[in-house]
Amino acid sequence: MKELLVFILIVSPFMFAVLCSIIKSDKIRSFVVLAMGIILSVSSLLLITKVPFSFSPKSVFTIKVNHIIEVSDFLLLFLMLFFAFKYKSILIRIFVIFQMVFVSYFDFFLKQNHSDYPTIYCDHLSLIMVLIISIIGSLICFQAVPYMKEHEHHLNIHPAISKQRGFFFVMVLFLGAMNGLALSNDMMFFYFFFEVTTICSFLLIGHDQTEVAIKNSIRALWMNSLGGCAFIVAIVWIYSQIGTLDIQEIIRTYGNAKYYVLPLALICLAGFTKSAQFPFQSWLLGAMVAPTPVSALLHSSTMVKVGVYIVLRFSPVFKGIFLSQCVALCGAFAFLAGAALAVGQSNGKKVLAYSTISNLGLILACAGINTPAAHTAAILLIIFHAVTKALLFMCVGTIEQHIASRDIEDMRGLYAEMPITALITVMGVITMIMPPFGLLLGKWMAMEAAARNLLVILMVSLGSALTVMYWARWAGTLMSDPFAGKFKLESQPILTWIPLLSLCSLASVLSFLAPLVYTKMIVPDLNSNFIPFDIHRGIFENSYGQFPVVPLCLIAILGFGVAVWAVKSAASSRIVPPYLSGAQTAEPGTFTGPMNQLVKSEARNYYLSRIFGEKRLTTCINLAAGVWLILMVGGTL
Amino acid sequence: MITDLVLAIFCIVFVPVLGGFISGIDRIITARFQSRVGPPLLQPFYDVIKLFGKEKVVVNVWQAFCAYCYIAAASISIVMFFFKSDLLLILFVQAVGAIFLVVGALSSTSPFSQVGAHRELLQILSYEPLLVLVVVGMYLEVDSFKIWKIYEWNEPLILKLPFLFIVLGYALTIKLRKSPFDLSTSHHAHQELVKGVLTDYSGPFLGLIEIAHWYETVLVLGLCSLFWATNWIGGFILVAITYILEIIIDNVSARMTWRWMLGYVWAMGITLSVVNMVWLSLV
Repeated sequence: MKELLVFILIVSPFMFAVLCSIIKSDKIRSFVVLAMGIILSVSSLLLITKVPFSFSPKSVFTIKVNHIIEVSDFLLLFLMLFFAFKYKSILIRIFVIFQMVFVSYFDFFLKQNHSDYPTIYCDHLSLIMVLIISIIGSLICFQAVPYMKEHEHHLNIHPAISKQRGFFFVMVLFLGAMNGLALSNDMMFFYFFFEVTTICSFLLIGHDQTEVAIKNSIRALWMNSLGGCAFIVAIVWIYSQIGTLDIQEIIRTYGNAKYYVLPLALICLAGFTKSAQFPFQSWLLGAMVAPTPVSALLHSSTMVKVGVYIVLRFSPVFKGIFLSQCVALCGAFAFLAGAALAVGQSNGKKVLAYSTISNLGLILACAGINTPAAHTAAILLIIFHAVTKALLFMCVGTIEQHIASRDIEDMRGLYAEMPITALITVMGVITMIMPPFGLLLGKWMAMEAAARNLLVILMVSLGSALTVMYWARWAGTLMSDPFAGKFKLESQPILTWIPLLSLCSLASVLSFLAPLVYTKMIVPDLNSNFIPFDIHRGIFENSYGQFPVVPLCLIAILGFGVAVWAVKSAASSRIVPPYLSGAQTAEPGTFTGPMNQLVKSEARNYYLSRIFGEKRLTTCINLAAGVWLILMVGGTL
Repeated sequence: MITDLVLAIFCIVFVPVLGGFISGIDRIITARFQSRVGPPLLQPFYDVIKLFGKEKVVVNVWQAFCAYCYIAAASISIVMFFFKSDLLLILFVQAVGAIFLVVGALSSTSPFSQVGAHRELLQILSYEPLLVLVVVGMYLEVDSFKIWKIYEWNEPLILKLPFLFIVLGYALTIKLRKSPFDLSTSHHAHQELVKGVLTDYSGPFLGLIEIAHWYETVLVLGLCSLFWATNWIGGFILVAITYILEIIIDNVSARMTWRWMLGYVWAMGITLSVVNMVWLSLV
């Protein structure tokens, strides 16, 4: 049964992807995507009862799995080399050839044939990743169906030369690769899927084939190849020391002081590039040019989570050493820097991108703090961030197609035009920053776990205040309008509503169930006798902190009910134009000023670009982060 | 369970009364500093009662939503304080109220509200990290974020955390809307932004916000009292002295710009916090 489920989760997306690429009819292709999404979600849910397990699949379609991986590794690298030559990128050529050398050295000289360890391993951490990828990833693919139709219509692409087949091929393939990554226990398998996600993201970012898209996709490719280089060096190094590729075995034995720490630092470096931590953030920002479902897929559920996943996976190994401290500091710094840069942005998608980097930084900081409580925080943050961020990206995508802009200033008064989408977006913002929702629960845990680490807590507390600032500003802007009480509901395709509404309810319901998620999914994984939090009556409690999730949720529901009643009753009250320091005129937003002239009032948001602008901060931040990274890798020598 | 409920209802009812009295005393003392007689002690209550008698007028229905959310979050945070719950969480809940106040003001298109709201955000940005650092400092000393652990501690925290008390003073000044930090709205008539963040709130909704502000006042003063939690007389004296100092500062200083506020408060707050925490780890 579990073999079948794993087969469905990893291999079937590859088959569905091929189907997507050969089906010409849009309708049938949508149906295939829908079917795949449902199958993936159901199988990932069925997997819950099976964990933990491990096994070693010998062959797929009578071909040995190891051989498939070995051959595909080279095929992938050759494909990358092809792109390197096609786009004349020196950096990519260097990185790819470097990887080829190491992979060949490993495969032909170093590797001994004794694969008696399980190549597939699934514990609760992997399971959480698989659930996020399969459910949220599928929802994103659903939303991509109407989005891409509108997108191509908008770009005036004739249906006959539609590139949707290629698009869905990569999107669906991506889900399979991600599942493979989460479930593999063999470093080479992991490396293979890591590279697949790299090439997929390259193809997706470059999908529109505009000049900017190509430029940004190349940048994404070289940065992620750098991560791949770090990873393959780490593999070769570790294998030459302890002679195994079994990740669980490596985690068990490698904590020993007699081995070098450098490969671990390289693995962290690979994770940092994938998670677009500073100074590698530019590929993620560049990914904005792609259609929004791509951004949602890269930023929320999948790609960027790989980075934090590997660091979190290997974090028990570097517990209590210098590297751990470095990861914590780098993460906390990224949390602060990402939040600061997000404050300076009025481009909605960029705000989301920086906020993603910032949140991933917090997760990495938790991995670096490396206590059971911090791990709990990290996993909760991964789950809730995936849900909420996917939701917000989809909202921005939907809004963008409607108002043809992604600038926050243009979303002023969106409530009057797209009431439901605006409300869902505001709900997304609320679940992002407010108790009792899951992300704040995670942040609370992270802060309490970090309290002994002066620099980390300092950066996290500053970053947290900045985070509040850019989200509150956005939510307020969406609601701002001389609102007259009557609005008409907007209409959207059903495949837009399903993902939006289901993610919105998931974000809130899952917060309510956070204690359950914790006891069922996180505690079994901590594999220590020390349990970071006791749960009683829905209250997280330990010796130093207390977070009453369920009581707060109940109070929040009550308060929400009262506030909704307040809106209903306020609708009957007199609605007046805002104060404008002069006699109001019939035209909204204008008043009679001096000399009986009409004066138009206008206000824009503060973006504080002189303090938090990209131009001002990026160089300093990159420099600081670069120095930290060099210190992290160099300090382990 | 029943006693919990009684305590919760008691503090929801009692705290605004306390906050109103504090506000009344504040107004009288301020007037005396300025050689005025000042309003009667109960004036804040008269004001709020009058506001509730007014017609409901809104610019945007979301203002009503936000006003209710503000008062809900403020009262929940104070109830949690009385239940001696987790300090960090109390700060987060309190922040929810502050955010809804801003969102409500942003939902009006008036430039006065908008600029006021952004200044309020900058004020939140200035004081929020400081409050977190103060709470972290308390944790480093008593090894817990829970308030009842602080009450069990056998010496006043101010002896070990003197600088953090000053840091809390900055946050307190901003939170109480006192000069030089009364950028978004102030109690006195020196606002060139009309009434800043409150410009477009009116009638009963303004009344709700006033009450919510009383809750918040009591909450931050409660935080102050934690620095002398060994007996209530010490706590009371500490809070009284602090508040008198706040009024003096309010009267002798002019309102500054947000750039100065952000730079000054972060620089002073972070430096003092770090000094105090490092010192704490050394002794």
